[in-house]
Amino acid sequence: MSSRCLRASVGATVVAALLACGVAGCDRERREYRAAPAAPGSERPRLTDLQPGGTLAQAPSATGARYEGNAYHINQGSRWFRSFNCNGCHGNGGGSMGPALMDDQWRYGGTIDQIHATILDGRPNGMPSWRGKLTDQQAWELAAYVRALSGNVSKAAAPSRREGMAATPPLTRIKPQPPQSSDPSAQNPPPP
Amino acid sequence: MNTPARLRAWLFTGAVLALAACDGPQSALLPRAEQAEAIDRVWRVMLWTCTALYIVVLLALAYAMLRRRADRRREGIASDPLLRKTLAAWVVVIVAFLTAFVALSYAEDRRIRGGEPDLEVRITAKQWWWQVEYLDADPSRQFTTANELHLPRDRTARIELRAGDVIHSYWVPALGGKEDLIPGRTNAVWVTPRENGTWRGQCAEFCGLQHAHMALDVFVHDVGFFERWRDTQLYPARLPETATARRGKAVFEQHACATCHTVRGTTAGGRLGPDLTHFASRRHLAAGLLPVESPHLLAWIEDPQRLKPGAQMPAVPLAPQDLLAVNEYLLGLR
Amino acid sequence: MDELPAMRDPKSALACAAAALVLCLSTAFDSRAATVDDGTWTMPARDYASTRFSPLTQLDTRNVAKLQVEFTFSTGVNRGQEAAPIVVDDTMYLVTPFPNRVYALDLTQPGAPVKWTFDPKVAPAAQGVACCDVVNRGAAYADGRIFFTTLDGQALALDAVSGAEQWRVKLANYNVGETITMAPLVVKGKVLVGNAGGELGVRGWLAALDADSGRLAWKAYSTGPDRDVLIGAAFKPFYPTERGKDLGQTTWPPGAWQTGGGTVWGWISYDPVLDLIFYGTGNPGPWNAEMRPGDNKWSSGMFARDPDDGQARWAYQFSPHDLFDYDAINESVLLDLPWGGSGGMRKVLVRPERNGFVYVMDRATGEVLAADPFVPVNSITHIDLATGRAEYNPAKRPTTGRTTREICPAAPGAKDWNPAAYSKRTGLLYIPHNNLCMDWSPTEVSYIAGTPYVGVDTKFYAGPGGHRGLFTAWDPLRRRVAWQVKEDLPVWSGALVTAGDLVFYGTMDGWFKALDARDGKLLWQFKTDSGIIGQPVSYRGPDGRQYVAILSGVGGWSGAIVVANLDARDETAGGGFANALKDLKQRTTAGGTLYVFALPAR
Repeated sequence: MSSRCLRASVGATVVAALLACGVAGCDRERREYRAAPAAPGSERPRLTDLQPGGTLAQAPSATGARYEGNAYHINQGSRWFRSFNCNGCHGNGGGSMGPALMDDQWRYGGTIDQIHATILDGRPNGMPSWRGKLTDQQAWELAAYVRALSGNVSKAAAPSRREGMAATPPLTRIKPQPPQSSDPSAQNPPPP
Repeated sequence: MNTPARLRAWLFTGAVLALAACDGPQSALLPRAEQAEAIDRVWRVMLWTCTALYIVVLLALAYAMLRRRADRRREGIASDPLLRKTLAAWVVVIVAFLTAFVALSYAEDRRIRGGEPDLEVRITAKQWWWQVEYLDADPSRQFTTANELHLPRDRTARIELRAGDVIHSYWVPALGGKEDLIPGRTNAVWVTPRENGTWRGQCAEFCGLQHAHMALDVFVHDVGFFERWRDTQLYPARLPETATARRGKAVFEQHACATCHTVRGTTAGGRLGPDLTHFASRRHLAAGLLPVESPHLLAWIEDPQRLKPGAQMPAVPLAPQDLLAVNEYLLGLR
Repeated sequence: MDELPAMRDPKSALACAAAALVLCLSTAFDSRAATVDDGTWTMPARDYASTRFSPLTQLDTRNVAKLQVEFTFSTGVNRGQEAAPIVVDDTMYLVTPFPNRVYALDLTQPGAPVKWTFDPKVAPAAQGVACCDVVNRGAAYADGRIFFTTLDGQALALDAVSGAEQWRVKLANYNVGETITMAPLVVKGKVLVGNAGGELGVRGWLAALDADSGRLAWKAYSTGPDRDVLIGAAFKPFYPTERGKDLGQTTWPPGAWQTGGGTVWGWISYDPVLDLIFYGTGNPGPWNAEMRPGDNKWSSGMFARDPDDGQARWAYQFSPHDLFDYDAINESVLLDLPWGGSGGMRKVLVRPERNGFVYVMDRATGEVLAADPFVPVNSITHIDLATGRAEYNPAKRPTTGRTTREICPAAPGAKDWNPAAYSKRTGLLYIPHNNLCMDWSPTEVSYIAGTPYVGVDTKFYAGPGGHRGLFTAWDPLRRRVAWQVKEDLPVWSGALVTAGDLVFYGTMDGWFKALDARDGKLLWQFKTDSGIIGQPVSYRGPDGRQYVAILSGVGGWSGAIVVANLDARDETAGGGFANALKDLKQRTTAGGTLYVFALPAR
């Protein structure tokens, strides 16, 4: 009796263990039916105005507007522009190894949000990613200064004097050149 | 307390404060270098001469007042030939003294700006700190440090002065006069220190928000000690010895630190901020703001804007353990 | 089926015989000719002596006016075309600028169809650290293989027949600013390749790879301690200033040699008799010279090395402590000249330098025999032949924070990379070059790996006379200009001279010109679709005719204003070049086309 009982209990245990294993196997991966909502204001600036089914408006960020209208920040941007060797590639706005920044042609968008993203993210045809190599505030200040190079900040905020050789007209006298979306030289050279 | 007693108390306090400024590491009245002594001599000649003349003027004034009271009959001064002669003589004396002063200060000024230097240093003032480069005919013996000037006693140093951004002014009162640092120009002062010690310099031309926190520590050593200091500074940065410091080095090189600072011997080569190759050998950080000690440095790295608002160094977002690691790494850079 | 025209046409046969005779004479003169077949062009400079002299005579001063386009080919890349087409075994090989595709064109077929194409898949990010457009200066052929380099720092070997990849080696790291733009040279089974990036604080080197495997045989740095520079017991420089221990380290501030430039992106020559290679090094970094006191060895200088182990034999600095970006990467043309009037031949090398002087040097010892200016120079007063040193003009010595004006020649030099040609028949060196001056304003600069390390605002403009370019025939024996053609735009193309006494070069607005090699008279010109900055070559086709080929496609440092669409309102744009070429956008557009010319077939 006892041995049968023992055998039965062992059998039951084995069956239970197998069942437990089987049930454990039934636990499928979690399906997340609703992703955690993105924090408001964390939307990344778009690099194109081509959108399926028409273009959604993307409002410029309040942060960008704040930097763009502030003379101190723009001036700090001009300091970083030289200190971080931006001028080595972009000259004093006319470009050299990198594209010109004082004209109206923008490969990756000419709003301050897009420029801020370009500085931090980098771009595949040679623009390095500066994320982690400078602070977010410095990137905003740089972006504001880059906007000033094409006359796209308020005259009251644009720096009237610049360091180094006086190579361009003063930024307060640059005719505003609103960004155009595409640059013919961006297709050059062809993507490999 | 009656009025004269109060007045006496004020006078006493004022005198103590005034005399306190005559001593310490930043005093022009205790010259410690040949050039400062020369300036001091000229200054004393001028001071005592002017004092004497001033006393003479006061005496003359007193005499005039008394005499006027004593002799009321005299009308007009123009008719007094003696007075006219005295006044003329007085003008001659004044002109003579002024000419002598100009000649003296011109001659001394020429004398203290020149001479064959034993050492050449280039100071570039920036908002708001001092970049100090030790020049040498042998380029491999040239190095850069910051906010500290080390000089050998009884040797003449020529200090070349430049500005990196706006106009600043170099002034180490114990060692000599002021000299402006002007963008696009190269000025120079000569210093021959006569006494070992630690002095303090200060930017003496308003240069922006943190002008007040732009101090320069000056150390005068025996020649032998100076040479040893110099040889130490020539070495590349020490390699970190602890695991934390090694992590700190990696964080320093990979994050925003290296974009602005140089640590020789690593990939960090920025020139916007001070060269940190031998940072921990310095007395102060942030141009005299705080002593180089762990809690201060940690607070500085964490948020420089709290301690020196407007300084060019931003608060770099670092994880707490990275912050501690960078702190340890920097304190090992002796 | 078709007989070779040379066999049919007695006149052509005579010309061929004459060519053979010239070849014999020249080999008697000069045993360094590497190519046996006079109709091929296996390396950009054609021979190890870097003469760019074609012994073909079918084309000459009388018939060149009839020269016409035989076929064209689009490279598909609208960037600066600085490469030389390579012709061997009835096949033409082209390397395009980034993305560095290789095309093999079958010259036996009408219209030269593509035989094979090779795409090395170059990292696009490398474009961001290419200082002066994304150029490539050509491939080299040896022993059935095509060798070439890529912008992102690779060297590759392809099977010349099939285009199959045989090996590839990653040599340079674009994340620290290194690129490769030079054409390799193959010497004694070793492929010689150097890096570029002197404007990004890289450390220059020349590497020798085994041609069979790509394995690194040796690597010689241009800065640093002697063991890195491969300076050993055999090092016997001529001048005392070049002698001493670890000069590549001690002539720099501590550690600065690690970011000191001296890149090797130009031309290498080889003398099989002395068994030495000769090559120059680029500018020291940064451009702001105050940040790097000292001679900055071995930047802006040259080396003679043993190709087997890379050991340096001698070295010489053309611009010690270079002040103005005077790279010394130009070609060394190896000649045997009756120097000194003693009647005997002297083994010399002739270099038209960027600093404005034509140097004649004893190539066995490194002694400077002559150094004469070929443009107006005010940055250097003279070259002291006793000490070998360039004496700088103190009035033009720049300081940080100040602008020094009217410095001649400008940073691209009296002559940049674009190579000269030498004709044994005329004894003249044909130099395509610039006439530019500049303002120069140094600033302090941070070293941030992978970003420019320059520290100078500069702008260029036309030199005395108002013309920006020159094509000069220089007589190295008489040490003077034989004749000179003024060009409005800088001449940024290479030169070619043929045994038919023709000199070819192109202009930046697209004219391809043939001049009489004796007097510089313009005999023929053709307008191509874009500015020319390439290297003309001449070869004999499978049909026996003589062809001349050139790549058209503006770009490079000078042409960046067009291909990178720079904004010339900024006078410092394009490293200062945009100011000098404000009109270039109106005069040419980007392109990338091969043009091949020949006399009409009968």
